[in-house]
Amino acid sequence: MQKVLIVDDEDVLRMLIEDTLEDLEEVELHTAENGREAMNKLSGNNFDLVILDYMMPELTGIELLGLLSEEVKAATPILMLTAKAQEGDRSRAREAGARYFMPKPFSPMELLQIVEGILGDQK
Amino acid sequence: MIRNSFGNMSIKNKYFRIIAGLISLVLLSGMGLFIYINAEQSTLDRNQDALQHKAGTINEMAVTLNEVFFRARGYSLLKSGNELQMAYDALDKLKVVLSDYSALKLSAEEASFKSELETFVDEYQNVILPKAIGFVEQDDYTSLRALASEGNTQAVNEFLTYTKAYKMRSDKQLSDMVDHSLKRTNEFTLLAFGLSTMLLLLFTLMIWRILKILIDPIVKLEAASNSLAAGEAVLLGKLHKQDEIGRLYEAFLNMAHSIQDKEEELMMQNEELHAQQDELQDQQFKLERSLSEIESMMKALDQSSAVAILSPKGIFTHTNENMSDYTGYKNSELIGFTFRLLDLKNMEAARMQQIVGKLSTGGVWSDEVELGMKNGTPAWLHMTIMPYLNDEGKIYQYILIANNITSMKNVQQKLAETLKNTELTKIMLERSNQLNHDITYTLDKQEFAEKFIEFMNRQYAFDSSVFFLVKDEITVVKGVPLANVERYLGSESGNMLYRMQTEKSYIIKRPATEREQGIAPEPVQSYDYYSTVVNAGNEVLAVFCGTRVGHSFNDEEINEIKGMMNRVGLAIERLFMYEEIEHGRRLNRDIVNNVNEGIQFVQMDGDMLQMNQALAQLFDYHDWSEGDLIPQERWTGHFIRMANESEELELFYQKAMSEHFIESSSMKYSIGKDPLKHVDMYAIPVFRRETRFGTLFVHRDITREYELDVMKSELVSTVSHELRTPLSSVLGFTELLLSKTMKPEKQLKYLETIHREAQRLTDLINDFLDLQRMESGTQQYNQEPLNLSELILGVINQYKLSVSHTILLEDEAHNAEVEADRDKIVQVMTNLLSNAIKFSPGASEIKVSLYNEGERIIVQIQDHGLGIPKNQIGQLFQKFRRVDNSASKRIGGTGLGLAICKEIIEKQKGSIGIESEEGEGSTVWFSLPVLYTSGSRHEDDPVRLNTEKEQKPNVMIVEDDYSLSLLLSEELKGKGFRVTHHYHPQQAFDQALKTPFVAIVVDLMLGEELDGWDLIRMLKNDERTEHVPIVISSALDKADKNRINNVQKYLTKPYPPNELTGTLQEIVDNIRQGTGEVLFPDSGHSGE
Repeated sequence: MQKVLIVDDEDVLRMLIEDTLEDLEEVELHTAENGREAMNKLSGNNFDLVILDYMMPELTGIELLGLLSEEVKAATPILMLTAKAQEGDRSRAREAGARYFMPKPFSPMELLQIVEGILGDQK
Repeated sequence: MIRNSFGNMSIKNKYFRIIAGLISLVLLSGMGLFIYINAEQSTLDRNQDALQHKAGTINEMAVTLNEVFFRARGYSLLKSGNELQMAYDALDKLKVVLSDYSALKLSAEEASFKSELETFVDEYQNVILPKAIGFVEQDDYTSLRALASEGNTQAVNEFLTYTKAYKMRSDKQLSDMVDHSLKRTNEFTLLAFGLSTMLLLLFTLMIWRILKILIDPIVKLEAASNSLAAGEAVLLGKLHKQDEIGRLYEAFLNMAHSIQDKEEELMMQNEELHAQQDELQDQQFKLERSLSEIESMMKALDQSSAVAILSPKGIFTHTNENMSDYTGYKNSELIGFTFRLLDLKNMEAARMQQIVGKLSTGGVWSDEVELGMKNGTPAWLHMTIMPYLNDEGKIYQYILIANNITSMKNVQQKLAETLKNTELTKIMLERSNQLNHDITYTLDKQEFAEKFIEFMNRQYAFDSSVFFLVKDEITVVKGVPLANVERYLGSESGNMLYRMQTEKSYIIKRPATEREQGIAPEPVQSYDYYSTVVNAGNEVLAVFCGTRVGHSFNDEEINEIKGMMNRVGLAIERLFMYEEIEHGRRLNRDIVNNVNEGIQFVQMDGDMLQMNQALAQLFDYHDWSEGDLIPQERWTGHFIRMANESEELELFYQKAMSEHFIESSSMKYSIGKDPLKHVDMYAIPVFRRETRFGTLFVHRDITREYELDVMKSELVSTVSHELRTPLSSVLGFTELLLSKTMKPEKQLKYLETIHREAQRLTDLINDFLDLQRMESGTQQYNQEPLNLSELILGVINQYKLSVSHTILLEDEAHNAEVEADRDKIVQVMTNLLSNAIKFSPGASEIKVSLYNEGERIIVQIQDHGLGIPKNQIGQLFQKFRRVDNSASKRIGGTGLGLAICKEIIEKQKGSIGIESEEGEGSTVWFSLPVLYTSGSRHEDDPVRLNTEKEQKPNVMIVEDDYSLSLLLSEELKGKGFRVTHHYHPQQAFDQALKTPFVAIVVDLMLGEELDGWDLIRMLKNDERTEHVPIVISSALDKADKNRINNVQKYLTKPYPPNELTGTLQEIVDNIRQGTGEVLFPDSGHSGE
């Protein structure tokens, strides 16, 4: 059973991603609606993928990555969802440790393919 | 110290000590030598004895050994027992000698010899001899020979040889020793001789020294005595000795000095006598010469001066020829008369007294005296009177000497006159100069005109005058009645200038007016001088009119005045020019100072020549004032320090001011921290006639643009985020719907989500567009009269169904009529209410208050939500500003709502504001001007004047019908009540616990869960609210009697509103009269 954590402050988007990925077999979906919650979940479990929103109140995606230990980051592929498609944000996210990007608005089917690809590599 | 004290000892002592020292030295060394020689001698003797003794012993040993062998050999031949006994005796003796030898001091060789010998003797006695005896007794001579050949005999022979050799060596040693001792004795003799020679030398030295010490001073003394005898000066230095010689020396010195002193004194006396004699001769000679001089002087005096001799009483006893010449009296006419005969001028009694006083004390009087000659002609004499005193000090005659100084006096008087004239001319010149100076340096026309008039009056003695500057209409008047001036100037200027056009100046002669005539006994003439001041173009610049009473103008004066007018013309033109330049300069300065940009001009050498106020404010630099040159290091130091990018600014200045800099360039820098200003600066080289003469720097404050820029880029990122999130949902769910099969419920849920998110997107876009329209000024406002209470109640009504929040309206506005755009105000209200709800997630109550303040109505929306940090309150109404903290970020929004509200309210002549405490909640208010319609029912309402909130009775209406609620509210407010609206029974009850109401109006048909009856029950069951009067307002007929027992009044809808107010008024009146007591809730807390 592979585990995916979805972190987004927008209820609607969280639901969209969850519904997109719900048909994946052997995959367990977890959600967090802010950075704190995500931190808590990440510290207790090993996830095979974290889908992380860039812009969040309290703790942004980048700030969250800054708080994670290097081991966790090395072991966990991170897909950054960002409304900001600017190159600057992307490089900042890469420096912080995110390996994959997806600009908003995104296509759920494309997201599904990418997630399948990442999880397939992880197996 | 020691040497000194030694030097000071007496000679006797000193030499006694030296001699004693020497003798003891001789004794000591002699003694030491004697002891040493003695010791040496005895050692030698001892050694000799020991050696002799040792040699003897060895000799004895050899003899004894020989005897032993001799006896042993004898025994072997004779076999006689006696021989054997003697051999044994010799052996014993040998042992004794050996022991004696061993007791001596032995060298190593001798010791080994001794021990060998001992061993041999022992062996011989104990082994060989008994063996030999045995052989002898057995007559075994073969064995005996063999024994002898074993080496015994050889050993004995060796011993004997050694002994012999030793003896010889010892003898030689002895003779060496004797030689050595002889040599030593010779050495000692030599040493003794050396010592005595040295002693002799020492003695000689000492004696020589003594002689030197004793003889030298004596020789010196002798020489000194000789020179003393010869009468020469004795020059002897002090001898620093205190022995006998020293004292003798000193005594001699003293004697020599005293002799010399005496001699000098005698010499001096002698010289003095000579001098006195010379002087006497000299005096005699002088006396003779003086006598002849006096005689010649007397002659000269007689020739040159008048000489007279007067008796003590002042009677002439002698006069010379000159005297009669000077006075006009003959000698015979003078002699026998007193000096009073002469007509002395200015000779008052007091002066005479003074002169007599001076003469009587023997003093000489001398002065210049004016007198009348006999014929009356005045003459000046310089007189000297000298008294002659007899031995008793009494005056016995006077001598008078006089010189005629009349001609000199005349010259003197003439000179004085000339001087006075020169002085006058000088004053005139000074005045003229002053005027020149004044007209050159006076820059104010009024002042110039005043100075000019003053000058003319003084210089040319005008009694009255007028000076009129044509262009500026400046008139300066001195001594002319104003009426005359006004008449003259007031007439058409054509008239005034008519004659002036043709004649530059003219003089009018007329009889003096009464005023001018003054106290003059006869009629006098006045002369009016008219003159114009023209420029090169013959244009009249000024007019001068002056009046002289009684005397006219001569040609010289007229010419001078004409010249003066030309000069004044030039001066006035110069003044015009100056004013023009000054005006231009001020204009330029004002322009430069009123420009928003900071401007500075820097010369090529770096000194700052000019800067404007904008720059001074920007850099807070106020050292420059007009005309100052600020050295480069001073101003750049300050400017560079102020800027945040000091180094860049310094570099830029350096580059821009360098000579090679010929194109303009610019840079940006910032200044200050709070507030931070952004400045765009550019530099332009300035040329004059193709020569670079400085650099112009322009600093433009671009803070606003900079912030706008930052805000715009923030907006782009915010908008992109805000738009992308709902877009993501719309696109995402649509795609899911299209690509997946799912249950109809889920499809519906997705569609709803899509719809909601699309709506959110629309709102966002609408907000943008609204603001865009408002900013560009294309927004149209449909102003119409409307009632704000009604409008707000309507908006609140829309939130009636909100679960999370209740909105309470507290309406005490007596005049809520405003002129505004209904839709826009609704938009503002909606916006503010949804903000209040959005930002108070933890609190449920929002209070809206309406009240009048002056000619405005104020709407206040108060929440108990997150609140706003103090430092961000001011920025909230700016576009895209949102409260920047985590809690509010979560809530989201476009950041445009408040900006839109502000725009709307301000366009309707209103104002808007926020008060907030972070964590406590916020209060947003806006105010609009009220519209007073004539005949408004509020106009003459007595209660209106009662502005104090506390005194207004507070009534709560619990009614869910919005229009009825509004109707009742209007009626009640009109009667001076404060109205609080509620539509939910539970919330109304909670409110009643907090706020003291005089009455509560309840509708029975309320929400679904609780109705009016429930509310009444709750109120009556709580002791805090049970006493509050309740009025039922219901469409239902009175039903249950029991239920309405504790109700004040039951009004059945529809009823005229004034019935309700009447009822409430009654209740209030009862309270005021104390009949119907109303207790307020315990908390006493007013809900405001």
